[in-house]
Amino acid sequence: MKISLSWLKEYIPVTHTVEEIANKVSLTGIESSPVKLGEGLDKLVVGHITSIKPHPDSDHLNICTVDVGEDEDIQIVCGAPNVADGQYVIVARHGAHLPEGNRIKRGKIRGVESNGMICGLDEIGVPEKYVPEAYHNGIYVFPEAEKTGANALELLGLTDEMVDLDITPNRADTLGMNGAAWEIGATYDEKPEIKKATIDESKVVKSSDVTAEVNDEKLVPDFLLRELKGVTVGESPLWMQRRLWNQNIQPVNNIIDSANYVMIEYGQPIQAYDLDKLQENKVVVRNAKSGEKFTLEDDTEKVLSHNDLIVASGSQILGIAGVAGSINARVTKDTKNVLLESAVFDGASVRKSAQRHDLRGDASNRFEKGVDNGNVSESLVRASQLVDELAKVESISEEIVGSKTEAKPTVIEGSISHINHLMGLSLSSDEIMNIFDRLGFEADLNGDKVTVTIPTRRFDMSIEADLIEEVIRIYGYENLKGTLPAGMETKGGYSAKREFSNKLRNVLLGQGLDEVINFALLSKEEVNDFNIKDTNLTKLLHPMTEDHEYLRTSLIPGLINNVAYNQARNNDDIAIFEQSRIFDRSQGEDRPNEVEYISGAISGNVTNDSWNTTSKEVDFYDVKGIVEELLSFTNAKAHFEYIATNQISNLHPGQSAFITADGQRVGYIGKLHPSYQSDHNVNDTFVFELNVDELFDLNKRRVQSQPAPKYPSVSRDLAILVEKDIESGQIVNDIFANGGKYLIDANIFDLYQGSHVKPGHKSLGYHLVFQNPNDTLTDETVEKAFDVIKDSLVQKFNVEIR
Amino acid sequence: MSLNDKLKDLRKNGVNEAKRAEKLQELNDLRVNLLGKKGPITKALRGMKGVPAEERPEIGTLANNVKKDIQLAIEEKMDELNKQMIAKKLEEETIDVTLPAQSRNIGTRHILKQTIEDIEEFFIGLGYRVDAGHEVEEDHYNFERLNIPKNHPARDMQDTFYLTDELLMRTQTSAQEGRDMESHDFSKGPLKVISPGVVYRRDDDDATHSHQFHQIEGLVVDKNVSMADLKGTLEALCRHVFGPNREIRFRPSYFPFTEPSVEVDVSCFNCNGEGCRICKYTGWIEVLGAGLSHPNVLEMSGIDSTVYSGIAFGLGPERFAMLKYGITDIRDFYLNDVRFLEQFKGVN
Ligand SMILES: [Zn+2]
Repeated sequence: MKISLSWLKEYIPVTHTVEEIANKVSLTGIESSPVKLGEGLDKLVVGHITSIKPHPDSDHLNICTVDVGEDEDIQIVCGAPNVADGQYVIVARHGAHLPEGNRIKRGKIRGVESNGMICGLDEIGVPEKYVPEAYHNGIYVFPEAEKTGANALELLGLTDEMVDLDITPNRADTLGMNGAAWEIGATYDEKPEIKKATIDESKVVKSSDVTAEVNDEKLVPDFLLRELKGVTVGESPLWMQRRLWNQNIQPVNNIIDSANYVMIEYGQPIQAYDLDKLQENKVVVRNAKSGEKFTLEDDTEKVLSHNDLIVASGSQILGIAGVAGSINARVTKDTKNVLLESAVFDGASVRKSAQRHDLRGDASNRFEKGVDNGNVSESLVRASQLVDELAKVESISEEIVGSKTEAKPTVIEGSISHINHLMGLSLSSDEIMNIFDRLGFEADLNGDKVTVTIPTRRFDMSIEADLIEEVIRIYGYENLKGTLPAGMETKGGYSAKREFSNKLRNVLLGQGLDEVINFALLSKEEVNDFNIKDTNLTKLLHPMTEDHEYLRTSLIPGLINNVAYNQARNNDDIAIFEQSRIFDRSQGEDRPNEVEYISGAISGNVTNDSWNTTSKEVDFYDVKGIVEELLSFTNAKAHFEYIATNQISNLHPGQSAFITADGQRVGYIGKLHPSYQSDHNVNDTFVFELNVDELFDLNKRRVQSQPAPKYPSVSRDLAILVEKDIESGQIVNDIFANGGKYLIDANIFDLYQGSHVKPGHKSLGYHLVFQNPNDTLTDETVEKAFDVIKDSLVQKFNVEIR
Repeated sequence: MSLNDKLKDLRKNGVNEAKRAEKLQELNDLRVNLLGKKGPITKALRGMKGVPAEERPEIGTLANNVKKDIQLAIEEKMDELNKQMIAKKLEEETIDVTLPAQSRNIGTRHILKQTIEDIEEFFIGLGYRVDAGHEVEEDHYNFERLNIPKNHPARDMQDTFYLTDELLMRTQTSAQEGRDMESHDFSKGPLKVISPGVVYRRDDDDATHSHQFHQIEGLVVDKNVSMADLKGTLEALCRHVFGPNREIRFRPSYFPFTEPSVEVDVSCFNCNGEGCRICKYTGWIEVLGAGLSHPNVLEMSGIDSTVYSGIAFGLGPERFAMLKYGITDIRDFYLNDVRFLEQFKGVN
């Protein structure tokens, strides 16, 4: 809410600039910003139209003679349909600056001299929707005679300086001038002067036409009405109108304006009805029937839910409680008798109705956040007082009660030492008591104990911690010196699992892969693309878009999106990885397991053409090398193997493998299937995905140091011819199975299949290394082991030793 | 010719020949030819029989000197030739050092991870544990335990991705507070923990909103923690992240799970408080929210709020990184254009 300083002055002395006040209020209470209306506008004065005649060359323009407070009247050509002789109007003089850089200059309009412009409110800064209906599409006419030549902006409130309070939901007490004055007053140690509302007791009558009834007092703890008879509906005085439009409220008539004005003063929404339009003599607050319809004041129709709380008279719906009035009992210029309502409605109910019907407004905003139930009755008195002042009421009924709840101040007990302790300060009890006094809280001190009585306007306060906040903010956070917690020393750090995954990430970074972060919510298609474990999908109840509907089951789809995004931008050579969670839901469970994965995608060249190199595209073995290095860092007490598979549908059936640890699958590696690649607009891409949680569980290797070998190793080369389908892995496994305890390495150094070998066969060359850590190996020992290896290969794989 | 003259002659010729040599091989040959066992000096000395006995020592000394002089001449020349050879080789091996390198690239940590890990390491140094928590969380921990009851506006369906009535994608890493508090053994000392991780909100993705983003929650619960401790801790954090000369300020705010609650501003690192575009000409930048743990939050975890107190704070790594590096579109973090990612190589 915007607090106008000229209005605030009626409550407390205002001695600071609007910038200073906004800054101070931000630091002690509520985030605020200064607003200065009319900046940059000038030469806008009150003019009095002394004569008017039609423009000779136009059917809609008029030539006006206007008294602008100078010796000679000026002539202005005006096209507004509502311009008339005798009006007091806003005149933009020659040279005037208007909003958005518009400038007024004298000139000729269809040959007739015009010395300025007669303005509408929207032309000088009031948004059109807050301009009174009568002045839409026309000039503004002052309701009463004003001094000609006077500053029009000032008269219209358009030079107001305001502090715009951006409240947090707990500080709805400042959604009225009274509360805001208390808050700003406490900041400057000034107690606001708040006038008590009164009505002319001679007009009060005991009888009333209507009665009120509330079906659920929990939802409607207060529901009060007053009948005001014999009103004269008309335009409100300028002082009220300008305050309303500066609050972004459109002035309508003196009844509705008075109700809105009280809302701004007290923070208490007031609803006004035309008493004579009620269907029955009873006003009921009840839940709507599902499907019940009603029409808003702007003629739109709403279909109600049984959760909507409504104010009704018989089958006639007067409005959604606290949200919006209907067209049925609207106060119009012909209204003679008025019914005013001041009530407290349940915040949650109001919020849901306002949301359901997209009708959030000034009233619902206040009910949602809470209103002061100590003010319901007085606000109604104040509204009656204003209506009486402006619309000359003949009689006012006593309060008609549908429900009424006693407003009890909250009493909070606290301790001076505990308050200090939690702030990290040592204020004296006097200092603390003084702060309570500034806030208008009554406080009793008994030793260290303080009993604070909180006025009902501060309905946000209930516990000692609330007192602490009040004390420290008024004392000033800027006066608080920072310290560090001084308790027992604690050992900080990552979990062992996090250390482990950090290590794996570092390996991939070291291998030149860039780290990416992708979304965990994917499309249905994406979550199915690499759901290798065939886990149950986890779906959002109310997704926003089909793109983000399911929890991911693999990191690969995100990585592929990244490759595609980059390659579409000519970043062809991509090596990326992500370490993140996937969601694996067991049958019958609602909650998915969150499993850490580490996955990568590599596409394009691993070496580029340059002055001394020729380019090389990534292949399976490049990526396998990265994975092997990664696995070597897992410290796993396990034997890893690559098991060829054609079971992963979006991978190339001839270039993919499951990765196992002692026979258990921990991941996979492979090239994307060509059709998947073309569907996703990526070049040849290799991926891998590993389950970090499972690898972490294998992280059990205990290293027992061995001295570096002192004795020389002996090597032998083995060349064999074998059937094409035998995998090298099988050969190597067999070599190790038979090589004896001194065999430490078996590297393939040659692979040939082609015209120089038997059809259906391939030639393989292995370099075997033997070493005895304790002695020099003899040729004889090595030869013996070598023979065993060869014999086994011949026997098992029918190889030909070459 | 006397033996004496013969030797002198040999010396003269030998030294001259060494000086004239152009190749190492010539010098080697010269050494073998002149100084070897079959060489002219040895041969000449055989004529010693004809020399009177008293002259023999003199001739012997001369012969040795001649050998030494020739040897020296050969060595000097060898040295010279070696130096020439090396100079030539170096000349031949000279390269253009401005030609491009054979790249040995290390990958770049994602800038969000760098930002998060920088903050994690700061808090680890202060004795905080790092506990990442769950991304799928119970309504109970994400809301109820944070003093956000069922009808609270913060629970509106449009803000939260629910999986079932009771399960949701956590909307805040504060969801970890309840779990950390209830599982902590206070007899072993204070609870000091940070919870970094991914959170989810029902937001349309645009330059300043993302339906997925990161948060880091911090929590200390002990017998003697105060608002002053919160200020000191966050002061130290902001100086670590934004520079040693930064100041912070607290402004009152509201969060359901802290009371008092504050917004924390850091003095603008770009203009040092003078006012600029980044700080919207205020000299201050809002960086995080914090407060004292609400007594209800402590009590719900079985912690006596009259004995213990807590400080809690939550910050957004995206916001930190955007401020620090002038990133203007939050979507850049999740598009993973490698040209965007790689510019942050080594910044942390
Ligand atoms: Zn700045």
